[in-house]
Amino acid sequence: MADVTEKFQQAGPKVQPGAKEEMVYTWPYLVSIEAIMAVTMILALTIMSTFVNAPLLDLANADITPNPAKAPWYFLGLQELLLHMHPALAGVIVPTAALVLLGMIPYIDRDRRGTGIWFSTKKGVPIAVFAAIYTAVIEITLVVVDEFLIIPGIHPDGSKGIGPLLKFGLAKAFGIKEVWTAWIGEILIPIIFMIAIPWILASWVKRRYKANTREVMISLYTFYLTSFVVLSLIGTAFRGESMHLMWPWQVKPPH
Amino acid sequence: MGLWAKFKNTTLYKSIYRNDYPDTPRNQVLVILNSVVLHLHPVKLPRRAVRVSYTWGLGGLSLLMFLILTLTGVWLMFYYVPAVPHGYQSMKFLDTNVIFGPFARNMHRWAAHGMVIAVWLHMTRVFYTGSYKPPREFNWVIGVVLFLVTVLLSFTGYLLPWDQLAYWAIMVGSNMAKVSPVVGTYVQQALLGGFDIGPATLIRWYTLHVILLPLACIALMAMHFWRIRKDGGISTPIPYDEDGETDQLNDNNEGKS
Ligand code: HEM
Repeated sequence: MADVTEKFQQAGPKVQPGAKEEMVYTWPYLVSIEAIMAVTMILALTIMSTFVNAPLLDLANADITPNPAKAPWYFLGLQELLLHMHPALAGVIVPTAALVLLGMIPYIDRDRRGTGIWFSTKKGVPIAVFAAIYTAVIEITLVVVDEFLIIPGIHPDGSKGIGPLLKFGLAKAFGIKEVWTAWIGEILIPIIFMIAIPWILASWVKRRYKANTREVMISLYTFYLTSFVVLSLIGTAFRGESMHLMWPWQVKPPH
Repeated sequence: MGLWAKFKNTTLYKSIYRNDYPDTPRNQVLVILNSVVLHLHPVKLPRRAVRVSYTWGLGGLSLLMFLILTLTGVWLMFYYVPAVPHGYQSMKFLDTNVIFGPFARNMHRWAAHGMVIAVWLHMTRVFYTGSYKPPREFNWVIGVVLFLVTVLLSFTGYLLPWDQLAYWAIMVGSNMAKVSPVVGTYVQQALLGGFDIGPATLIRWYTLHVILLPLACIALMAMHFWRIRKDGGISTPIPYDEDGETDQLNDNNEGKS
């Protein structure tokens, strides 16, 4: 019975109708695993806590701003977004939307087939890999472009990136006030990007893999997962003084 | 009769343990039913559900982190004074003058990071195994709230040492909340207890961190565990025939594919 999962993973979720699960007693089969895991984890934490000290810097001082000032690591993805768009978008709307969308997943993908099998179908893994590469490539490209893009004549004041390009470029070309064009670069374009990137991914996966709802959902969750990892990594290891992009070894730890 | 065997015959022992060592089917059932902790589990479960490579034990590890954090957190509370600058001084005191002080603080810190990671990975495991599908939809929603509460627990705790790291990390975070559309200034007033991070902020975050959020977490975990059982235990594949449309699918399914 032990190889059943593999078999169905290979063949797609095709379990014989009425196939009965093999049952085991919780004691000892589960309880022993729980005990081993708990002891191992406690040991690992004990060793780590013996040798690695939690940081404690100087007393808080509102007059001395560290450079850079960073949020805890799990918010560094959002802090990274902050560099590319309006703060209300990065700090409030995106995280709220992310949580609401996560909560909606089971109400959109309601087909029970594929439950209980890693990646559900044989297309699941290739779709996840595709979505991860797609997301990583696009996001890294956007971050780098937004950091270094500079067009002489349009980026006059030493500013760089897509936002200022639109702000000054459009203002110049169409004679619109800069307050309006700034809004385009800070709010409109980021929203379009954040909707278009997963949207194109979903349609692409649907076409290329003839994906069903679950498989499209796998591509979208992978988009979320990869965004979180990529943006947090950039925010943690590649952002140094004044939040400029740099190599990890150039980033000084907080002091 | 050995000493241990004699002890097992006493009224005291029998009043605590109602069954013999669980090495017979009968006692393997009884041990689960008789123990308040163990009876969170079913008596029997599918073999595939106990495979480590299925759940990676991540839900259980999240719970373990929570328990470690509760214990070490109580230890820290013995010494921590939620005021400015006493909070910082109690951290210094803890790090230099208290037996196991640094150890408890380290453990609390690393387990806190560990819990955020474990919960996040657990969510990812549940997603990729399709375990959110009906009838487990609402347990997934409870999970999303648990995820939020876990992050908030970590974030509120981050301020308490009241050092430069804490202060400026929270500054970055709360500046984001300030710009919420429409309600921004109210949110900031409510969270900071004023316009700036100060003593009022510290006492608010302390209260959230040691009482409100842990209680919320416990309540949600109780619902979460209850529902795992009520939703039919750990998810297992649904029997169906790939060619047939709806055979063996449960009434919850709306027949989409
Ligand atoms: C404090 C946080 C959490 C704790 C302590 C916790 C604990 C657990 C435990 C012990 C299980 C049993 C199976 C396993 O270990 O994987 C479980 C299952 C489950 N969890 Fe969580 N969980 C937490 C957060 C979450 C989150 C963030 C989600 C999703 C957003 C979630 C969704 C679920 C679902 C749907 C199941 C049923 C899975 C199945 O039947 O295979 N939980 N949880």
